[in-house]
Amino acid sequence: MEEPRIGVYICWCGTNIAKMVDVEQVTEQVSKLPHVVVSKNYKYMCSDPGQELIACDIQEHKLNRIVVAACSPRIHELTFRRALEKAGLNAYLFEMANIREQDSWVHDNREEATRKAIELVAASISRVKYHEPLDKRSVTINPATLVIGGGVAGMSAALEVANAGREVYLVEKSDRLGGLVNHLDLTYPYLYDAGSMLETLLRRTLNHPHIKVFCDTTVEKVDGFIGNFTTTILTENQQPVTLTFGNIIVSTGLKPFDASRVGEYGYGRLPDVLTSVEFEDMLRSGQILTRSGKPPQNIAIIHCVGSRNTEFHEYCSRTCCQVALKFANQIRTLLPDSNIFDLYADMRAFGKGCEELYTETSRKNITFMMFDQQKEMPQIIRSIDPADPHMLIFFREKISGLGLEVPADLIILMVGMEAHEDVKDVAHAVGISVCGNQFFIEKHPKLDPVATTTAGVYIVGNCQGPKGIPDAISQAKAAAARVLATINQGSVFVEVTTAQVNEAICCGCQTCILVCPYSAIHFDQNKRVSVVNEVLCKGCGTCGSTCPTGAIRSKHFTDQQILSQIAGLMEMTLKIN
Amino acid sequence: MNNRVNPNLPKELKEFGIRDWNDCYHCGTCTAICPLTAQGLLFPRKEIRLMQMGLKDQLSTCVEPWLCYYCGECSETCPRNANPGELMMSLRRYLTSIYDWTGLSKKFYTSKVWELAFIILFAILVVLAFLFVLPPLDTTLTAEGGVKVNSFAPIAIIEYFDWAMAFIVAGLLISNILRMYYRVVWMGTSKGVGILVHLREFWQLIFNFVVQPKFSKCDDKSYWLYHWLLMSGYTIMFILIVVFLPWFQTEKIHPAWHLQRSLGYYATIGLLIGLTAAIIGRWKKQQIKFQFSHVSDWLFLIMLTLTVITGILIHIFRVNGLPLATYICYIAHMAILVPMILIEVPFSKWSHLAYRPFAVYFARLQNSAMTQTN
Repeated sequence: MEEPRIGVYICWCGTNIAKMVDVEQVTEQVSKLPHVVVSKNYKYMCSDPGQELIACDIQEHKLNRIVVAACSPRIHELTFRRALEKAGLNAYLFEMANIREQDSWVHDNREEATRKAIELVAASISRVKYHEPLDKRSVTINPATLVIGGGVAGMSAALEVANAGREVYLVEKSDRLGGLVNHLDLTYPYLYDAGSMLETLLRRTLNHPHIKVFCDTTVEKVDGFIGNFTTTILTENQQPVTLTFGNIIVSTGLKPFDASRVGEYGYGRLPDVLTSVEFEDMLRSGQILTRSGKPPQNIAIIHCVGSRNTEFHEYCSRTCCQVALKFANQIRTLLPDSNIFDLYADMRAFGKGCEELYTETSRKNITFMMFDQQKEMPQIIRSIDPADPHMLIFFREKISGLGLEVPADLIILMVGMEAHEDVKDVAHAVGISVCGNQFFIEKHPKLDPVATTTAGVYIVGNCQGPKGIPDAISQAKAAAARVLATINQGSVFVEVTTAQVNEAICCGCQTCILVCPYSAIHFDQNKRVSVVNEVLCKGCGTCGSTCPTGAIRSKHFTDQQILSQIAGLMEMTLKIN
Repeated sequence: MNNRVNPNLPKELKEFGIRDWNDCYHCGTCTAICPLTAQGLLFPRKEIRLMQMGLKDQLSTCVEPWLCYYCGECSETCPRNANPGELMMSLRRYLTSIYDWTGLSKKFYTSKVWELAFIILFAILVVLAFLFVLPPLDTTLTAEGGVKVNSFAPIAIIEYFDWAMAFIVAGLLISNILRMYYRVVWMGTSKGVGILVHLREFWQLIFNFVVQPKFSKCDDKSYWLYHWLLMSGYTIMFILIVVFLPWFQTEKIHPAWHLQRSLGYYATIGLLIGLTAAIIGRWKKQQIKFQFSHVSDWLFLIMLTLTVITGILIHIFRVNGLPLATYICYIAHMAILVPMILIEVPFSKWSHLAYRPFAVYFARLQNSAMTQTN
């Protein structure tokens, strides 16, 4: 190993760090450590002059290791790695000490915060000595794309990719495309016809020369990695077909909540209690009728069925309030003299045009009432008085605080959306994970909302979380853009901080295969050792820490690197206390 | 109490002047801005909510509409232009019809035909009485040169008639106030209020009737003054006519500074100032409180103005010794005054002179019942 020549740079982050940490003292203290050639501080290290400072020092002082003490590596590690590359140094000969989020922002004693900063920087200096240069690797991209789920999001994504002249395989579990939108009568907020919109999408999808549709088909297992995926599906007539593709867009959607789980509402027991999905079908038939065939005089709409309730789903399904408002409008048109009651937990008519829809609806003589979703849920009972409509809803109205009753001939339950039963199978097949609500998890909720932690796999539409049609289609088109960008590049760089198996030490216990969250390890039956697929590996280190023989080494997180980081921290702690 | 939601109630209340009831989304800005709300008396949001849900029984126990003096700040600040102030005004009309057991109040508020028909009927009866029941006209003057008003309209008969009318009106009003008491205090507090509390708080009734301090808490104080001048003028005149008629209706012309005449002048001026302010306000519609006028608002203003004008004419003609003109104006005066008192006081807008001070009194009773429970 060449003699380490380390440059250390302490960032002020304006006043974010400098206010709580004595950067001058840190600079001076760490300059005395072995192998430290340069130790400097600067107002904004991430700025162009800051990066320039590092590059110049690399040239001038022949530095071969760099430590920057600044914010979280999540924010600027990539920035500094690029700066190193520009100056001709391998990007991995770099280490970042977080003295902002983990120090200056969370402490209020300047002296102790300064001491902590010195310790953290010392630990990084101690670690960086053992960093090794790692090479970037790239894989070529198969230009075909697999779209799983043929609802509006899936079809939109497929069309976007196919319109760029790339092959798309669109796999749909049910016997027809269209998903939940198949049930809709009108869409909110502008009350456009859902059928004609869907018809356009369907026609374009089915007639597209670059889209191959497989209905009644599920994807059981996908092998490979970004650019080189492969799967075998069974078509409608049970013919196995092997598909190869470079990217996957998952758009499996959600299903309506099962209303019979809410005992208070008597769904399934009371004939005139319908779900919003059933009511859409009724609206499409053009007539609103009770089970006995008469038009109802009193119609109640109950919001948040299965949503925003700790007993069922805590999340908001995001579309039901607007759909309820749409229903109220449609009922008012079809039955102008009826009494319409809207029982909501909170009116969440967010989104373009939706608050306006609420305002307009509220002027149509609809009785809006608020109930408490947690404490006093409405109860629906059969009325015994023959003069009454046959159902009564009892509830405590939240704004007035009064216990009230609402007569009803027809009750519409605004059911929320929930994950399909097989969501985990899909997740497992494509190597992505689900959150506590059984929605697929995006790579970053804000900065990377349609990608997943598995390169080449994107999630769009409801399967990522409940949403309306415009949001689902926006995501579909965003994912399509990502896929097309990857295809256009022809190849992509993949993670290099992967795990490596030392075949001489591996005992073949296969524990690593069990724990790997990315299915990146397989077992070589001939050699009886585990083999890491470096394209799939994300370098999480789970296998390395589980391996009983120490045969697995995580690049950039070797035992030596981690232990010397700890040693550096402890030594400095002892020295300055 | 009936707890059933009834969306048809707001539609029924349209006739009472309710408008825009759908627009309120219960932000509570109206209640926050109102200078008259107090702990336990939070309006107008509560009343709007009850009305939207059609809870008639709960509405009828509300005393709050009478505690609102319609400064209009709530309507001005309402982000949805739901006109909460006008809603309270409409509720006062509605409550008046609820308290009234004869059902006439509802008829008068919801039907112009009924109201006008009754006014005209009473006016005709008054004219007929003067033409056929009372003594024939005597257009000669007294020795002192006064108009013989007491032989045209003998004090005994007029006084007898005044007292009878006062008793009928008072009887109707008191029975309605008892019904208001039953709803507000009895049903509204779920338990009775002790007799001592009734006595302790009684001064509130008198004080609020005479001074109307609540009205003065509205931001624009000028209307409190106009209203007070009108109210005091009306009250003085009413007492003069009913209680002191023999002293007031004289054939002798007293000097201008005489108490009989100066009280009359004060009452007339007070009434004129109040009426002018109200008529200009309702005509120009610049203040929120005057933007929406119900038929009953205009009818009342017109009738009272005509009463005052005919009263002034009687005085002018009498002072100038013109018997025939005096008598004609006297008949016209009575033909307007009698229906106004008989219809407006127990059944329509004028009843607020009783309900408002009683509402303050009842609210105090309610409040003491609540604080006892806590």
